[in-house]
Amino acid sequence: ILNIRKLDGGNGPPRFRVMMSDGRHTLSSFMLSTQLNHMAEENTLTPNCICILKRHVTNILKDGRRVVIILEIDVIKAAKDVAGRIGDPTPYAEGQSKGPQSAPVPENRPPLQPQNRNEVNRGLSREFGKKAPSVMPNTPGGSSKVVPIASLNPYQSKWTIRARVTNKSAIRTWSNSRGDGKLFSMELVDESGEIRVTGFNQEVDKFYSLIEAGKVYYISRGSLKIANKQYTSVKNDYEMTLNGESTVIPCEDSCDVPMVQCDFVSIGDLENRDKDAIVDVIGVCKSVDDITRLTTKSNREVSKRTLGLMDMSGKVVTVTLWGEEAEKFDGSGQPVVAIKGAKLSDFGGRSLSASFSSTLMINPDIPEAYKLRGWYDKEGHAIDGQSLTEVKGGSGGGNTNWKSLADVKTEHLGHGDKADYFTCVASIVFLRKENCLYQACPSQDCNKKVVDQQNGMFRCEKCDKEFPNFKYRLILSVSDSVSVHPENYIYQNKCNVQPLQVGVMHNLFSFTFIFRSCPLTWIKATVMDVKPVDHKDYSRKLIMNIRKLAANH
Amino acid sequence: MASLLDAPKPRISCSMLSQYISRAVCFVGRVEKVHPTGKTFTVSDGEGKTATIEMNEPLEEELSGIVEVIGMVSNKGVIMSTTYHILQEDKGIPFDLELYNEALKVIHDFSQYYPFEVAASG
Repeated sequence: ILNIRKLDGGNGPPRFRVMMSDGRHTLSSFMLSTQLNHMAEENTLTPNCICILKRHVTNILKDGRRVVIILEIDVIKAAKDVAGRIGDPTPYAEGQSKGPQSAPVPENRPPLQPQNRNEVNRGLSREFGKKAPSVMPNTPGGSSKVVPIASLNPYQSKWTIRARVTNKSAIRTWSNSRGDGKLFSMELVDESGEIRVTGFNQEVDKFYSLIEAGKVYYISRGSLKIANKQYTSVKNDYEMTLNGESTVIPCEDSCDVPMVQCDFVSIGDLENRDKDAIVDVIGVCKSVDDITRLTTKSNREVSKRTLGLMDMSGKVVTVTLWGEEAEKFDGSGQPVVAIKGAKLSDFGGRSLSASFSSTLMINPDIPEAYKLRGWYDKEGHAIDGQSLTEVKGGSGGGNTNWKSLADVKTEHLGHGDKADYFTCVASIVFLRKENCLYQACPSQDCNKKVVDQQNGMFRCEKCDKEFPNFKYRLILSVSDSVSVHPENYIYQNKCNVQPLQVGVMHNLFSFTFIFRSCPLTWIKATVMDVKPVDHKDYSRKLIMNIRKLAANH
Repeated sequence: MASLLDAPKPRISCSMLSQYISRAVCFVGRVEKVHPTGKTFTVSDGEGKTATIEMNEPLEEELSGIVEVIGMVSNKGVIMSTTYHILQEDKGIPFDLELYNEALKVIHDFSQYYPFEVAASG
């Protein structure tokens, strides 16, 4: 230590600024943390004593200068035992210090410990694990201490938090009778919890480009109000709005701020949650489908991809990703996937969708992910998993609800409130060659054949409307090995039917149906998917059934 | 021999060889090793066990992958093959030998429901 200077702290305790030297350089950007003030006041720390800097943290000021806060320091040789200044240190380039002072150069001195290089400082702060809240570094320049997110409330305005941005939204604009505006929102997380933050208009300009998802910032003086829980799964009674007095300062020392806060719901539990709930889930991506492209009602093209997520409950749920997330997703190697703020729907029973406000994480660095990885590699990979989402049938991995066509009648499928989903293997027995496949009105419940207007539009007489598209409808008679009489079904194919497929008769197809109730003897089934039978899958299912039957006798 | 070929031949696996001595069988397995003379080769079944196949005439082609062999089981447990054919796997769907073995077991465990011989003679 070359010099210690006392700074009057104004409202708070005095601060001591320390100039250190390691024999080669000097740096005066050291501040003694307040709990060590006594060392300066009692003259334990005096100019020219030799010490070891044991714990410290480095802060960055608004102007980019670095300040090292000394949290723990030991004197190894008192100043009186030292013959004055050691070496001929020059001010370190990044620091602010007085000019070099000449001094005697004694030999055989123990090397000094304090590190001046800021890069090494950061390295040391990494092992700086748990600190008590009272040791939280003071924010540069400000008089407020860093507080945990969990303690934020509307009744205190002078606070600073240190948190990581986990989810930054795009800028959204609106325009209504009261005027125009723009906003963005983000979620912050620290060791104590999480909170949702919104910035409007001027704050968007001030902060949007400064803030990067994944990085840690000191944020102070936002306004707090009761949270609107409808749009977010963030667990906090309050949410924050940035205002004219708010400050956002990047924090370099971010290693111990957690990456994300999630309250994961077990996949098996999803059945008990209400549809439209917003949940956090984590699981192993057991299967992933190819990307498909849909056209929305507003004629926009959007990419979509589904994947099967399984966790230790043994249940599998289908998750839908959209847009860029769908395109970028790589499910190879069965990664652990976590989604914060996924939307639960009752499509196919229970399924999840990642919306624009969800956060998708692949192989996140959190303990739950490691647990899942270990479980899956040991036992999970062998489990078939029971799917909560009955949409596709036939492909291995998902649980499919196999029924025979006769079961439809005996079990009165389709007569309940919900649509019934099932899969059966059947053979197309009869097709009226000319009229089996036709172009039908795309409206929900209308099946009338449309007239091709030859101008890209199709007219439905029943609805008295023209449409730019149509849906294919196929009338088939199918029979499976159980039915005696071929059953007549009207099929409405949701996926684009390849007309070529229709020509293949007498081959086994696996039909996945949704049955809707219909009072007539004609049972209306919507074919979700038709595939040539996957013989292996079907054989396995048959063998399993046979064994089960045998065991039960 | 001709009459043997006409009758339906039960499909067996290695573990059943001893029960079918002097009978015509149908064996499906993966080619393991071909003897340099080409007159004999080994095949493995879905359980990983190996059986030896002996040919009337030496093989004229490269044998690999899954084959179906028809022949008679000698009292040494070797299948004296009268005919064979290779099961094509190049359509992209590999032959699942383990699954085939499972099906075989079912057929044998519940042979009363799989009356192959009766069907043939009818």
